[in-house]
Amino acid sequence: MMNFCRILVLSNCFQIRKQLLRCIWPKYVHCFPLQRSIKTHSRNHAYAKDLFLGQVNKAEVFPYPEIEIEELEEIKQLVAPVEKFFNEEVDSAKIDREARIPTETLNGLKELGLFGIQVPEQYGGLGLSNTMYARLAEIISLDGSIAVTLAAHQAIGLKGILIAGNESQKKKYLPKLASGEHIAAFCLTEAGSGSDAASIQTRATLSDDGKHYLLNGSKIWISNGGMADIMTVFARTEVVVNDMKKDKISAFLVERAFGGITSGKPEDKLGIRGSNTCEVSFDNVPVPLENIIGQIGDGFKIAMNILNSGRFSMGSSSAGMIKKIIELTSEYAATRKQFNKSLSEFGMIQEKFAVMALNAFVMESMAYLTSGMMDRPGLPDCSLEAAVVKVFSSEGGWICVSEALQVLGGLGYTKNYPYERYIRDCRILPIFEGTNEILRMYIALTGMQYAGNILTGKIKEMKKGNIGLAFEMIGKKLKNSFGSVTNSALSGKNGVVHPSLAESAQKFEQNVHLFGSTVESLLYRYGKTIVDEQLILKKVADVLINLYAMTAVLSRSSRSIRLGLRNHDHEVLLTNTFCNDAYFKNNYWMTQLQKNSPENNDASIKKIAKEVLENRSYICSHPLERTY
Amino acid sequence: MKCTRCLLQLLGQSAHTAARLARPTLPRNPQHEQAVRRFRGNKGGPVPAEFVGEDPGKRSVVPGDPFATERKTKASFAEALEVFAKADVRRRGHVEFIYAALKKMPEFGVERDLAVYNQLLDVFPKEVFVPRNFIQRMFNHYPRQQECAVQLLEQMENYGVMPNVETKVLLVRIFGEKGHPVRKYQRIMYWFPKFKHANPFPIPHQLPEDPVDLARFSLKRIANHLDAKVSVYQMPRTDVTDSGDQIGLPHIVGIQSPDQMELLGKHDPGRPVFVEGPFPLWLRKTCVHYYVLRAEPVPPGEKVEEPYDPERCFNYPLQLQLDLDRDLGDIETFDVEDLDEGPVFAMCMTSQGDRATLNRWISGLQESNPVLGHIPTLFRLQAGASELRAETRRDESPAEEPEEEEEARRRRN
Repeated sequence: MMNFCRILVLSNCFQIRKQLLRCIWPKYVHCFPLQRSIKTHSRNHAYAKDLFLGQVNKAEVFPYPEIEIEELEEIKQLVAPVEKFFNEEVDSAKIDREARIPTETLNGLKELGLFGIQVPEQYGGLGLSNTMYARLAEIISLDGSIAVTLAAHQAIGLKGILIAGNESQKKKYLPKLASGEHIAAFCLTEAGSGSDAASIQTRATLSDDGKHYLLNGSKIWISNGGMADIMTVFARTEVVVNDMKKDKISAFLVERAFGGITSGKPEDKLGIRGSNTCEVSFDNVPVPLENIIGQIGDGFKIAMNILNSGRFSMGSSSAGMIKKIIELTSEYAATRKQFNKSLSEFGMIQEKFAVMALNAFVMESMAYLTSGMMDRPGLPDCSLEAAVVKVFSSEGGWICVSEALQVLGGLGYTKNYPYERYIRDCRILPIFEGTNEILRMYIALTGMQYAGNILTGKIKEMKKGNIGLAFEMIGKKLKNSFGSVTNSALSGKNGVVHPSLAESAQKFEQNVHLFGSTVESLLYRYGKTIVDEQLILKKVADVLINLYAMTAVLSRSSRSIRLGLRNHDHEVLLTNTFCNDAYFKNNYWMTQLQKNSPENNDASIKKIAKEVLENRSYICSHPLERTY
Repeated sequence: MKCTRCLLQLLGQSAHTAARLARPTLPRNPQHEQAVRRFRGNKGGPVPAEFVGEDPGKRSVVPGDPFATERKTKASFAEALEVFAKADVRRRGHVEFIYAALKKMPEFGVERDLAVYNQLLDVFPKEVFVPRNFIQRMFNHYPRQQECAVQLLEQMENYGVMPNVETKVLLVRIFGEKGHPVRKYQRIMYWFPKFKHANPFPIPHQLPEDPVDLARFSLKRIANHLDAKVSVYQMPRTDVTDSGDQIGLPHIVGIQSPDQMELLGKHDPGRPVFVEGPFPLWLRKTCVHYYVLRAEPVPPGEKVEEPYDPERCFNYPLQLQLDLDRDLGDIETFDVEDLDEGPVFAMCMTSQGDRATLNRWISGLQESNPVLGHIPTLFRLQAGASELRAETRRDESPAEEPEEEEEARRRRN
């Protein structure tokens, strides 16, 4: 009886708590409190997060986002000249060789308006939505150096003004930035600080007259650092919080014209050689008070927002690159003959093309699903989805480029073909804008936090040995093991997924269901100490990435079938293939996540690494060694 | 091992060549060297080695102690063996001789020399003790001789000398393939390679002579950290003062890792640090002493834990805000009662553990750890290293109470 009462009380608390959390949760959007309040309807912006609970929030992702027909016409008109420009006037080999982008090329980009794609029209930009930005990124990515230069300029460099700047700052800076007259850079990384805000050494101190801040310190690996005129610089400032002096990070808009800024020699990089990356030093740079972005001490949130919002376009960029590479490679495979057969008739070569097509398809689907979600009213928080897109596409891109080079064999390895350049350029993708390791942590932990907030009450009750709850769980499990795993919400009658994808949808739902219970058991087992279990978090993130990818392809191909897009049968094929593959991979990873799973090698992996790292060398004896 | 097996197949195959090569350890000409691993088969019957052309006049038993020589070197030891071997074809009294030689080996400094052991084994006459029928084989054939050879192998084992194929060849020729010494040899060859690298921190037999090198080696051994940096604060030298007295300055060698520097940098200047020692460190038969710079552990009440800063990492939360701990079933650590001993900031070695010398060490440390200038340093030195060493030698009752030498020393820069 006691127990029963407790459940009732608890479940009530639990409900209230859930509601409370729902309200509190969007903590990554601190910067837009005003904008958030004007949203038209309350929406639940949590597709990927809900997957951690084993729920498919299908309203978020079905149907696949579309743009208006006028917008489509507009983007087509925009894309054509850009494509022409990249095909005819950009000499990527030369840019790579000379390690600089020629001025004419830069001027061409400026004329096309590519320096202000997302800057609102009132400030002289193109004012395009995220979806349209993603579409342009597809073409821009044909040259890695240009893509990185433009991304550093607008995806992170001037983003600070866009999302947190005030009206006068926007009026003053955006027009010149949008036209490309001024180039922007984003200065966060320091020699001792990558993701660690506490080790930022650059400091801004209020001058004696109180009219400006004096900026001192140096930043490394700044894209566009050598040519930027306007920089978003993050520095430590002293802030008084509760009568206590405290160091907090603040964001400043710094013009090169303020004086005291020196840039180092451009770094000699493996890839994206045409982009300018260098050290930037600040020596008593006077920054007027009106150039603080947001409030003083808000820098951390601003930096986080900029970083989170800059990632989504990598999906379409990679897809664009792969699509181009498929064209180049397939031509070779069709013409090259061995044993009186063209390469394209060999199974192992065919497999490579299938891999490339699958990857491009999935990336594209994820990228436009995410950008579509971001374009919805109410400024939804899609940082988790964006991180998923970034991880998947950066790794997929690497695999595809490598496979393409393999098709050409020795030829691909030479500088006569662009593949080696693509490989070099591509290698940066898993590194910058948050390394994939860090993003996996972000993906898994954000989801764990979300699920934990909701499940804590239930888990605590389970740990207390609540029999009622235990029976309920057992009942649920029995029900699942007998009947259909979950009554499919996606396919079937009134489903949102087309019947030809029903099987894939079912697999997806099975995976999601299992994922929900896996997350729950992980929370039960590790609680908040899951933060230290990086190998587990990696698998959790990998499963989630696959789940989101499955969602994207299911949603996209259902729409294609419904609309009757050209070659939608091919899309169905790709979707079913990918979902089948991902289903088994997910199952394997989730089996590894079970307790005492024989498939799980984590303990041994950790031990190997520990022994190697303790000695800082490979410690086995040489195989030719002997003891007597 | 394998080549031994091959060689065993050659048994008896080349009786006449083997006769010439009866003494594989002491090759006299190049021919011997080439076929040094061959040996004679037991089918040929006992033909005493070096019978031909031996001068009968030299065959008298060596008078007196064969090892009573002035020069105790490997060469003189070998010479003694040779003299004995040549003195008598039948090698009369060889068991006693071998026992005596075994005892003398450390004196000559050859107790770890495999070649000498092989040479000593060679003293046994060959093939005489090989059992020739099953009855002999069943019973302990020539027990004294077998025991002596086992004793020889035992001594090798004790000194960690691993026998080689030559040893085996000799043993097989002397005692046959199934004799006790060969068994012993097989057991040694089974275990020795397995234990050869059992010690992850091996000490070389030959320690560095130079005290600075020795100190460097010992400090590296104690502070097993790859980043730890050894610095020599003072090289040993002799200074002549104005009054003409000679003052020997001892060596001071210290070690400190970057982690220790960081710890020291964070140390609360209000709490003293201590120079303690000497503590003994044994390296085989050598004892050296070291000193540590350490602090008392911070009392539990005063420990300040760094509060979690949610604005620390730009990319992901470093902690989860959850009210859930790790499940009992997933706690894989053992319950170990931790005793906080307080941090050790640096270590040093010096031949002269007085306060003045250690002060010089602290001053040297201060160059890389400026915070030391603000922290009071107390000396807690026990009886000097030399006295300790004397005590251990005399095997006296436990050391006297450490004389508590405490002196606050506050240096200000």
